[in-house]
Amino acid sequence: MNTVMVKPERCIGCRHCEVACAIEHSQNKTLFGAVSEDPIPKPRIHVEVGPGLLTFPNRCRHCDPAPCLQVCPTGALQRDAETDSVIVDYAKCIACAACAMVCPFGIIQFDKTYQIALDRNVNTKCDHCIDRQRTGRIPACVEACKTGALEFGDVNDLIRTNRKDFTFKILRPSGAEVEVPEVPPNIQAYRDIMKSIADIGIFRD
Amino acid sequence: MYIDPKVLNEEAEKRCLDKTDQEIVQKAMEDGIETAWDRLRKQQPQCGFGQLGICCNRCVMGPCRIDPFGGEPKRGVCGATNDLITARNLLDDLATGAAAHSDHGREVIQVLLETAEGKSQGYQILDAEKLKTVATEYGIETEGKSKEEMAKALALAMLEEFGTIKNEIQLSRRAPAKTQEMWKKLGIVPRSVDREIVEAMHRVHMGVGADYANILLHALRASLSDGWGGSMMATEGSDILFGTPTPNTALANLGVLKKDEVNIVMHGHNPILSEMVVIAADDPDLKKLAKEKGAKGINLVGMCCTGNELLMRHGIPIAGNELDQELAIATGSVEVMVIDYQCIFPSITDTAKCYHTKVVSTSALSKVPGATHMEFHPENALDTAKEIVKLAIENYPNRNPDRVRIPDKPMKMMAGFSEEAIRGALGGSYKPLIDAIVAGKIRGAVGIVGCNNPKVKQDYGHITLGKELIKRDILVVETGCAAIASGKAGLLVPEAASLAGDGLRSVCEALKIPPILHMGSCVDCSRILVLAANIAKELNVGIEDLPLGGAAPEWYSQKAISIGAYFVASGVFTVLDVPPKIFGSPNVINLLTEGLNGLINAAFAVEPDPVKAADILEEVIEKKRKGLGI
Repeated sequence: MNTVMVKPERCIGCRHCEVACAIEHSQNKTLFGAVSEDPIPKPRIHVEVGPGLLTFPNRCRHCDPAPCLQVCPTGALQRDAETDSVIVDYAKCIACAACAMVCPFGIIQFDKTYQIALDRNVNTKCDHCIDRQRTGRIPACVEACKTGALEFGDVNDLIRTNRKDFTFKILRPSGAEVEVPEVPPNIQAYRDIMKSIADIGIFRD
Repeated sequence: MYIDPKVLNEEAEKRCLDKTDQEIVQKAMEDGIETAWDRLRKQQPQCGFGQLGICCNRCVMGPCRIDPFGGEPKRGVCGATNDLITARNLLDDLATGAAAHSDHGREVIQVLLETAEGKSQGYQILDAEKLKTVATEYGIETEGKSKEEMAKALALAMLEEFGTIKNEIQLSRRAPAKTQEMWKKLGIVPRSVDREIVEAMHRVHMGVGADYANILLHALRASLSDGWGGSMMATEGSDILFGTPTPNTALANLGVLKKDEVNIVMHGHNPILSEMVVIAADDPDLKKLAKEKGAKGINLVGMCCTGNELLMRHGIPIAGNELDQELAIATGSVEVMVIDYQCIFPSITDTAKCYHTKVVSTSALSKVPGATHMEFHPENALDTAKEIVKLAIENYPNRNPDRVRIPDKPMKMMAGFSEEAIRGALGGSYKPLIDAIVAGKIRGAVGIVGCNNPKVKQDYGHITLGKELIKRDILVVETGCAAIASGKAGLLVPEAASLAGDGLRSVCEALKIPPILHMGSCVDCSRILVLAANIAKELNVGIEDLPLGGAAPEWYSQKAISIGAYFVASGVFTVLDVPPKIFGSPNVINLLTEGLNGLINAAFAVEPDPVKAADILEEVIEKKRKGLGI
């Protein structure tokens, strides 16, 4: 099963993933074309800010079983057998938001999309870039991420890396060669400073 | 708009330290006014590549960015590394700040020239003594010369230095010989005001070197052309035209706005037009008109550094610092906000639209959609000023008293501590101050400067650091938004000496001065340089040897980068609160926070906690004392 794994410690809030996602879900598929389309394409991945101004890119996890799919009264939500993705049949969506009520990640959204000629909002959550996947390409958000915060691949492969790192760390705590590098000291210093700043201003918890 | 009072209160306390600001920030929220704090929230998350300085948006092979976690991409399309991209970005920002200060200086000197030639309207040369002193520094013959002749020769000599080919700026000779020697050794003596900025623009172009350290050295040189060049000319030119400040008493915070008078807020940085507004507001016909329109008088108040300039020379009340510009309008009591340039929110006219306030733009280079443009020209400046005052008076009947809320109590404060005034108060020489430092009554001095930044609770950084330093017997001098913050907080009165340590308190009480001295606007950071230079010269040492420090606790602007850099390049260790955009390059961090120590005996530190920042500054001061053998 292929999935997008998020490494929150590597997200720096640049929102490249959001822009790439919106472009992928435009008719034109280019930045300059996408910005002048009507309806304007919107991202389906959301970089949210948390405590200490840290960020997290949140998107559909394509759960299985998927609560949204189970409660959809019209059968608009379906599973794509080839990619294991939870996808929306826009024509069947009645925007009742039942799916949003049960989504554990809060990532359902309702918008207009060029993909259906209806002048109403439908569930335009992440479609796992299945069009791209079918042609052997990785999701647009992952391709756009330049910090390694988003990775695409077989879920067990991605987990294996973490498992291996942990093994090395626990057996050789200092100077262990790990596949996933630690957060560099300059970036950690920057985050500590921004946390202090958050504590003395409007971002205080 | 109804907002739960508890929510209002909590949010106001997060936004501002000052109670009067909290009151009006609440009103702004109730009135549904968008302010900088709201816009900061809407900007979250802010791009990490930009914040870390590793986004390069210069050419169209890019834009490029570097993976801050050490992976690919490691270089931009051109091949630039994180070090080079960070250094170029910093130089670019610094040059922007130096340009802003220096272009302001140029405009002041142009008015001095036109005044000397009898072409300006309303201006006089008010400080002939300073004119003579500065003219003598420039090697201008003063014997038997009229004020106008001297002023013309001086103005031409200064204007020439913006593009001079003589490879030096006269005022940089004010630095102690040892400090100048250090600049020579490093190759950072500023050669002309404009040249260093132009060269900075050249150096940030693709393919002009790849050595980050070489780029940062030029940044230091460009900053010196600002501090000891453009900014210093702005200060000296303004003093010659409008008078060198002497200590005065005034009032601060939004409570200086008046319920029953025509309120005019003068906002920006350059005093050349607002000085004429001060004269115009005294015009008997206009005063009469104000009465006819139902107002009890005309109330001029300042905002930001234009405010500081007027406060320093005339004791004109100051309504607030950068984050107060929208709040002043939100009191509903401002008839006209006059803007010149720098730090004026581009959205200010939208804020004004929510009330009856008219924004009047006055500079050809600083127009804002929605503002009434009444352009400043020296030839008819007084006429323009009178028209502006008239516009304000005629707008008074449009004020809706139901939407007015002005805080009760303005805070008393002292300002006007020019270098000359401080020296004068000490009896003409720095000896008494030096004696107090040697005796340890005063451990040293720190210049707290810079802006507001909505990322930090307004004034919290300035006030916490200022109080912490005076408690430790460290004298504080301030300019810009920092000084206004202290004014609002009641720290700029002699009585505030009670918050100082025993040593500093006794000195302040003897001299009847506050423990924190207001030295002017942000270009007046040049006054701090002259103060430091003169003390160093009396001791026959360099500025880098003195127990001094600098701090910019709430900085946001590129001008602050230039100020911080010329402090450091002049030998003053400087602490920043908000991190500069360099954290994507460990090499640049190391050079600026460590490496510079070996070159100029000063460096930068980044510390968001003001108490810890005070610890760092105290440590530096004690180290320098030891170096001097005291």
